[in-house]
Amino acid sequence: MNTVSETISDSKNAFLEDMTQVAVARDTRALERLFDHYAPRIRAFCLSAQPGANLMADDIAQEVMIRIWNKAHLYNPATASLNTWVFTIARNARIDYMRKNGRYQSDIDPEEFWSEMADENADPFREAQQQRDQERVRDSLKQLPNDQQQVLAKVYLEGKSHSEASEELGLPLGTVKSRVRLALNKLSVIIKR
Amino acid sequence: MLSCHPTIDILTDYSSGSLSLAHALGVSVHLDQCPKCREQVKRLNMVGAELFASQTDTVSQDHMAQLKSNVMAAINQADVTEAKHQERDVFSHIPASLRRWIPKGFNALNWMYLTPSFKLATLSNEAGGPQIALSRIKAGARLPSHTHTGNEVTIVLKGAFSDEDGLYREGDFISRDHNHKHQPRVTKDEECICLIILDSPIEFTGWMTRLLNPIMRHFHPNNALNGA
Repeated sequence: MNTVSETISDSKNAFLEDMTQVAVARDTRALERLFDHYAPRIRAFCLSAQPGANLMADDIAQEVMIRIWNKAHLYNPATASLNTWVFTIARNARIDYMRKNGRYQSDIDPEEFWSEMADENADPFREAQQQRDQERVRDSLKQLPNDQQQVLAKVYLEGKSHSEASEELGLPLGTVKSRVRLALNKLSVIIKR
Repeated sequence: MLSCHPTIDILTDYSSGSLSLAHALGVSVHLDQCPKCREQVKRLNMVGAELFASQTDTVSQDHMAQLKSNVMAAINQADVTEAKHQERDVFSHIPASLRRWIPKGFNALNWMYLTPSFKLATLSNEAGGPQIALSRIKAGARLPSHTHTGNEVTIVLKGAFSDEDGLYREGDFISRDHNHKHQPRVTKDEECICLIILDSPIEFTGWMTRLLNPIMRHFHPNNALNGA
């Protein structure tokens, strides 16, 4: 049944296999392998938002790995790639950390609505489609001109809003918005309506 | 079919996590009802995920080994899957992301009457941030004419209303900037409940309803801080 997805990149499938082991067999070895792959990325992700904040990066990396362990049964490969799932957990953990540490004074808990979006229609065709979309995004990211890559990194890795990005890059807000849109168009992630 | 959606810019800020919590809450209530925007956010998340996965970190192996053993110790200690709170089916009409503030249904909220047909319940005030509230207007009623002194986001939770620009139904996400003066009217068939996120207080422009303005300011977190 999974012939399409089986042909797609093997290393990805190894992590997917580990993820299944964590969910089904509570395999701690598998979690260790996921840690080796993802924890450095989570640290880097936190450091792009707060350069030099190593303690924060360590805290969040550990927190995210624990969440992965606790939420493993909620992961569904048909609705999101493993990278996407881990990214959303890391993003939420980063928001949460910054909220608790002052950037956002608020009694709102981000976990409640920046959800990992459990989606209703999970079928194997969607899984294959979803994987193809992800591959396309990966390939076309590399083709983007530098200015567009730079602005996407500001937004996604540094967690800057469009207006914060415009201040930091010294560009008009309209320019930032149009660069982001241009980039998203090239990645064909914008759905027409 | 919903007619009003958040812009791609807003959805991108939502996906990257930089949207203010109050506005992200508004977006998530909309997503609850809108499969198309859910799909859009999912695709935007893919972009974040690819950028995320392509990063490298230069920290030492020893340091990572230490973190790893912390994690392994933590999961062994508390090896129970976290208890998910029970979904309350009675209130399934209330979007999941709002249930925390509306645990016992709309009626149990602390409603404040502004006019006989219009009441307001504040859900949360981010200090110095936007006010998050519900507005509840009787069927067929017309809201007093007002302007917005800051940006306002409205998401229809129940019923429908119209103004000069169109008709808005359940799930619609309506973003208004300041200086937009309008007089919404609720459809005749049922009352209308909306989630509103106000960057600054509403200002009524009618000669009688002007008297409400100090109240509106009082309940807005920005102005409560200034003692205005």
